[in-house]
Amino acid sequence: MLGKTDKSAVGFVVAALIFFFIGGLLTTVVPPLVDKSWSQPFENHDPAKGPTGKLVPLNAQQLQGRAIYVREGCWYCHTQQTRTLLADTKRSGWKGVDSPISTPDEFVYDSPHMFGTKRTGPDLSRVGGKYDTQWHRTHFRNPRDLTPGSVMPPFPWIVDNPDEFNALVAYIQTLGRCKDWRPDNDYER
Amino acid sequence: MPAPAHVSALPYGGPGSVSPVESIHEDTTAKWFMLSAISYFFVVGIVALTIAAKFVWPQLLGTVSVLTYGRLRPLHVNGMLFGWLLAADMGLAYYFVPRLCGVKLWSEKLGVATAIIWNIIVLGAVVMLPMGLNKGWEYAELPSVLSALVVVAWVCFGINVFATVATRKYEQMYVSLWYTMGTILWTTFVYATGNIAVFFTTGVNQANLNWMYVHNAVGLIFTPIGLAIAYYFIPKASSTPLYSHKLSMVGFWALAFVYVWTGAHHMLHGPISQWLQTIAITFSLMLLIPVWTVVYNFFATMRGQWYQLRENVPLKFLMSGVVFYLLTCFQGPMHSLRSVNAIVSKTDWIPGHAHMALLGCFSFFAIAGCFYTIPRLFRTELHSIPLANWSFWFFMIGGLGFFVTLWLGGFWQGWQWNNPSIPFIDTVRALKPVWTVRFFSGILMFLGITTFLYNIWATVIDSQGKARSAAAVVNA
Amino acid sequence: MHDYVYPSIFLAYFMFFIFLVGGIFFLVKSLRHGYWGKNSEDPKYRMLADDEQEMTTRKASEVEG
Repeated sequence: MLGKTDKSAVGFVVAALIFFFIGGLLTTVVPPLVDKSWSQPFENHDPAKGPTGKLVPLNAQQLQGRAIYVREGCWYCHTQQTRTLLADTKRSGWKGVDSPISTPDEFVYDSPHMFGTKRTGPDLSRVGGKYDTQWHRTHFRNPRDLTPGSVMPPFPWIVDNPDEFNALVAYIQTLGRCKDWRPDNDYER
Repeated sequence: MPAPAHVSALPYGGPGSVSPVESIHEDTTAKWFMLSAISYFFVVGIVALTIAAKFVWPQLLGTVSVLTYGRLRPLHVNGMLFGWLLAADMGLAYYFVPRLCGVKLWSEKLGVATAIIWNIIVLGAVVMLPMGLNKGWEYAELPSVLSALVVVAWVCFGINVFATVATRKYEQMYVSLWYTMGTILWTTFVYATGNIAVFFTTGVNQANLNWMYVHNAVGLIFTPIGLAIAYYFIPKASSTPLYSHKLSMVGFWALAFVYVWTGAHHMLHGPISQWLQTIAITFSLMLLIPVWTVVYNFFATMRGQWYQLRENVPLKFLMSGVVFYLLTCFQGPMHSLRSVNAIVSKTDWIPGHAHMALLGCFSFFAIAGCFYTIPRLFRTELHSIPLANWSFWFFMIGGLGFFVTLWLGGFWQGWQWNNPSIPFIDTVRALKPVWTVRFFSGILMFLGITTFLYNIWATVIDSQGKARSAAAVVNA
Repeated sequence: MHDYVYPSIFLAYFMFFIFLVGGIFFLVKSLRHGYWGKNSEDPKYRMLADDEQEMTTRKASEVEG
C-alpha cells in the first residue's frame, strides 16, 4: 500500500490539504473563538485596574485621515504597538510617564490594521496628544526642520490641502487615546 | 532500474545545451513568463535602488507624491515578488513539470493566456500602487481588481500543472512535482486568507490572518516553488543524481505540516495572546527539520562534485542559494525566540533577513534556472559565460554587502532601542552609514540584474539571428 | 486578558508527540511493505535522462502506430 504513496496524485492532494488545514485552522479560526478580548472593545472605569477609558469608533474625518495614513504608506516605517518590553513603554511614554502596553481590545475597530513590522521612525501607538497641529504642519512640510537627521519624506501635498491635513492630524491625535494614560490630562491639540 | 553509470558532466554551455533533435515541448508559456519576469526584474530594480537612495538623501524626489517612499515601497515589494520572482518561478515550472511528467504541457494556449493575465497584473500594479491605491496590508497591497486577477491566473496555472501531472507517463513523481503541486494547493488558501478573509475581520484578528499570509507567502509559496526549482536544476546542472529521494519526501511532508503554524511570530511581545505566540515559537523551531533535510540532501548530492562550481554558472547560483537558504532558515527560528526577538524585531536586521531569503536564496535559484533553460529553450548557447560570471559576483558581493551591513546595523539599532535613555532620533542617525553601504551594495546588485538581463536578451536575439541564417543556408 | 500559555505549551508537546508517533508508524510500515527499497529511488535517476530525445522517439513510434 505504501508503495503507492509517492505515485498517487489524488492521495497527495488530500494529504497536503489535511496537513495544511490542521495548522491553518488552529492558528487562524480558533484563536478569536478562544480569546474574546480580541473582539471586545476596551472599556474600564475602575482606576484600580489600570488606565481608564473607552474605545470608540473613529468619526468620518478621522477615518479620512486614516485612509491617508494607509495611502501614503506611513505604516511601512511606523509601528503602532507598545510591546511588552520595558524599553517600549519608556519610548512610548512621555514627560516621565511610562505608556501602558498595547492590548488587543484597543484595536477592535481597526481595518486595515496598522501594527506594522518595521520601525524606521518612532512607534506611534501613543502619539495622540503629544504634538499640536502647528507642530505637525511644520513637521509634514519638512521633518528635518524639527528633527535634524530624520529620514522621513516631506509631504507638501498634504500640508497644502487643508482638508487632508486636518483629517490626518485628527486621526493621529486619536492614537493610543482610548486608554487615558496621561495623569494630568495634558494632551496637546 | 539499476543506477546508471555516472552521466558525464557536461560543462555548462557545452553540447548538452544544444538539442539537435526536435522536441515535443513547445515551451511558449515558459518563454513568455521567464522573459517578462527578467524584464520586470530590471524595471523594479530601478525602483529598489531609488528607495535605497531615499534613506541616504531623504529629500530625493520628495515633493512628487507618486515617487515618495510610501508609494514606491509597495511597488518594489510587489514588483519583485509577483513581477519577477513568482513569474520566473512559474515560467520554470512550465518548463520542468512537462519534462518530469514525460508529456507535453496540458494546454499551451491556457498557459499563454495565463502569462498575458500575469503581465496585466504587473503593469496594473506599476500604475496603481504609486497612485496610492494600496489595500494597506503588507504583501497584499495590490488593489482588489488585481488580486482577483491573481486568483484567476493562479487557477489557470493550477489547472495546467495538475492536468499535466494527471496525464504523466511516469507513475512515480519526482520531488519537484510534489513541491510544485503543494505550492499551488496551499497558495490558493494562503492568498485567499491574506486578500479576502481579512476584509471580514478587524484589529488583532485581522493582523493574525494578515501575518499568516505574510509568513506563508514566503513559507508556502516561494519556499516550495523555489525548492522545486533547486531539486530540479541542481541534479540537472551538475549531471549528478540527487542524494536521496526518500529524504526529500521527509523534508516535503515536514514542511507541509510545520510551516503554516508560525504566522503569530511576527507579533512576538505585541498585542496578541501569549499562548498563540508560544505556539508560533514552537513551530518556528520545528522548521529546522525540513530545512536541514533539504540542505543535507543538496550538499550530499554535491559530494565529489564541488569542482564543478568553478566552471558551471547555474550551479554557482544554485549552491550559493542553498547556503543562503540554510542561513536564512537558521535566522528565522532564532528570531522567534523571545529574547532574540526583543533585540532584532522591527529593526533593519529584518530587511537584511528578508532579502537573504528572497534575493540570496530564491532569486538565485530562479536566476540559475533562467541561465540553464533559456539557451535550451532557444536552441542556442548562452551569449556570454564570462558575463554570467560577472552577474554572479555582482549579486554575491552586492548581496553580502547588503545583508551583513543590515544585520550589524539592525543588531546595533536593537540594542540602542532597548536603552531608553538614547533618544530615538540618535538611533536613526547612527544608521546613516549602514544605509549608505546598503545603497552602494544595491548598485552592485543592480549591475548584476543589468548584466543578467542583457545576457538573456542577447542570447534570445542571437538565436533568432542563427535561425534566420540557418534558414538561408537551407534555402540556398 | 485571559491567557492560555500553559495549555498552548501542552498543545505544542502534543503535536510533537503526534508527529513522532506518525513518523515512527510510517517508517515501520514502509519497511514492512518494502517501500524503503531500491526502486523507490527511481525518479532521481529518471529525471536526469535526456527526456527530449526519448520523447522524440516515442513521438515517432506514435506516428507509426
